[in-house]
Order: sequence, then structure tokens, then C-alpha cells
Amino acid sequence: MADTNDRLGRLRLQATMIESWVAQGWIAPAQEYSDADLARACLIRDLREAMGVNDEGVGVALDLLDQLHGLRRALRRVGDVMHGLPEPARQEVLVILRELDEA
Amino acid sequence: MNEDPYDVLGVKRDASQEDIRKAYRKLARKLHPDLNPGDKAAEEKFKAVSAANDILGDADKRARFDKGEIDASGNERPPQPPPGWYRDHAGGGGGGPYTSDAGYADMMDEDDLLGALFGRGARRGGGAQFRMQGGDIHARLAIDFLDAVNGGTKRVTLPDGSTVDVTIPPGTREGQVLRLRGKGSPGMGGGPAGDLMVEVSVGEHRHYTRRDDDILLDLPVSLPEAVLGGKIEVPTPAGAVMVTIPKGSNTGTVLRLKGRGVKKRDGSRGDAFVTLRLVLPDKPDAELEAFAERWAAGKAQNPRAGMES
Repeated sequence: MADTNDRLGRLRLQATMIESWVAQGWIAPAQEYSDADLARACLIRDLREAMGVNDEGVGVALDLLDQLHGLRRALRRVGDVMHGLPEPARQEVLVILRELDEA
Repeated sequence: MNEDPYDVLGVKRDASQEDIRKAYRKLARKLHPDLNPGDKAAEEKFKAVSAANDILGDADKRARFDKGEIDASGNERPPQPPPGWYRDHAGGGGGGPYTSDAGYADMMDEDDLLGALFGRGARRGGGAQFRMQGGDIHARLAIDFLDAVNGGTKRVTLPDGSTVDVTIPPGTREGQVLRLRGKGSPGMGGGPAGDLMVEVSVGEHRHYTRRDDDILLDLPVSLPEAVLGGKIEVPTPAGAVMVTIPKGSNTGTVLRLKGRGVKKRDGSRGDAFVTLRLVLPDKPDAELEAFAERWAAGKAQNPRAGMES
């Protein structure tokens, strides 16, 4: 427990704050706080303190960010698939994209 | 980071603490790395802005800076301590518990290709479900020359005995593959059926040959038609048409019939090129022989002049 508090202190986070954010549904830890949970907590801290976003705004921002990361992951997947295609098929896709751009 | 913190935040030297706070918030909202996940440069800019705010946002530190007791470089920010920025966790392969597919949920069912690429199919139903598109079926289809030129439909019998009516678009070419979506093998686990791929072989025509969108045609003409000219009916894929043969036409004379060739996608047609071929009467004709016998100019002509032996 002291270990966790140490960790939180270095990140300028307080346990009670994180607990209230968990209660808000902004953070969903498993047994312990993962790195992703803590990085997300730092983001919430920055949103509230550095950027002056209120609680309603934090919920909206997190929701949009989660969607953004979902889209980025999907797009990267498409990119990976494109990258792995044989050259003629890649060219075909590029031609179609170019035609769509021109249309 | 030796830049003047006032310049970094874009505030005047006599700005109030409240002005500084506002300026910093505005820049932080714009530059925070987690709000710019794709922009690597945002991190550097955000660090500079944060470092400037660390000095100016604190009235005591600001006063010491103004007096020259501390300088901007002394307050350089260390890199974001571990675990780093949230964006570096959210972007990972696993996606974590937070990543949402709501941003593209409306793009899914239209075409399963997107579902497969966006990795959604596997997540539905607990992630254990196996969902797969059916395979494509390949078939060959022989079609008539005129169906390829003008378009038509043709029934195909598949390996399993079922039949499919294939629409042949006008202007279909030899070797072209027609794709019939969803007519291939059925999918598994609710996946869509594959496609039926029909490779077309186009038959020959007794009179017509094809050169891209044009039709080539040999047309026999009689001696009087060639010598005197006249109107004759010419068959084309677009229907018969009356054509005027110019006086003095010869074997090899080519007439172009615009818009009488192969139907194109836009509904227009290529051209038909008619090559005339002079045909003498089937049986010997006494009158023609007598004429040729006494036709001095004809006899004097050497059609092989210029041919090398």
C-alpha cells in the first residue's frame, strides 16, 4: 500500500482523487492500477488542473479520446493490411483511393 | 529551453497572474500530448509551455525570475515520468479496457471487409466466435460474340447444380472476369457468402471481328456496285444500316460507320469499319467477257506495277 502511495506521489496524484475518478467511471482498474490507469489518471489531472476543464467536460473529453484511440487503432490495422498486400493489389487500392479523391 | 517564458506563453511582462493562468490553460488545451496523439511535436511544445508556466504561474518564482535570480533554463522540465503519456498506452495493440469502437460502429455492417479490418468481428459474442467469409467460386462461361458486344444475360450452372443468371455487360471482353457478389460459397459463423467469379470467353462471329470498341467487317460488292456506286444494306451489331458506296470503289476501300460498333459503358458505341471486297459473278458471263476483250484501257492497266519479283 505504501508502495502504491509512493508511486502516486511521484505522479502528483492522490489516492482519494483517483478513487473518486474510478467511482465516476473514468478509470476502470483491475486488481491494481496498471500503467495505463495511472497515465489516464495523469491525463485527468491535467484536464482538470492545467486545462481548467470541469467534471462534465472531463467525461466528454475522455469519451471522445476513447473513440479517437479506437479509430486510430482501426486505421493502423487497415494500414498494416495495406502494407502486407502484394504489390499489384496495393497499387489497385491506391488507384481506387486516388479516383475517390478526384471524384 | 532558454526561451523567454513570457514569449512562450505569449503574455506581456506586466500581465496579471490571472492572465498568465488563462494563457497557460489555453495553450495546454491545444498542446497536451494526450489530446494530440498523432503529433510527436506537441510534446516538445507542451513541455516548453509547462516549464514557462512553472516559473510565471508561481508569483514568487516569477518575481525571482524578473529580478534575474533564476533563469528559464534552470527550470527545464524533466521528461514525463513513467508511465508516460496516456496516448502511449491507449494506442497499444491490446487497446486496453478504454479504447472504444463507437467511433466507427456505424461503418460496420455495410461490408464485412470493414468489420474484418477494424477487428470487430472477433470481439462480438465474447471473442470466441469464429466468423469467416465464404470462399469465392470460379467458373468459366462461353458467350456469343454479339452478347459480348451488345450485352445480355446467360445462365450458369454451378458445381452444386444450382443455376445463376449472369448479366453480361455490353462491351465485355475476352478473358474478363465478372464478379457476382454473394453468389459464392456460404460463410461460416454468420459470415457473408463469397463471390462467384465468372471468367468469360467470347465466341467468334462469322462476319465480324472486334478491335477494342470497333467492329471490322468484310463486305462483298458486285462489279456494277463498285464501278457505279449505289446504296446497299450493311449488317452491323447495332442493326442493319443503308450505306452509300461511292462510285469507283475498289476491293480494300474502307468505309467507316460511326457509332455502329461495340456498345460502351456510357451507352455510346465504337465504330464499324467496312472493307469492301469486289466479287465477280459466280458464273462466266458472255457479255462481260466480250466487254473485257475489247476494253483497251483495262488491258493496258498493270495492277502489279511496283510489285517486286
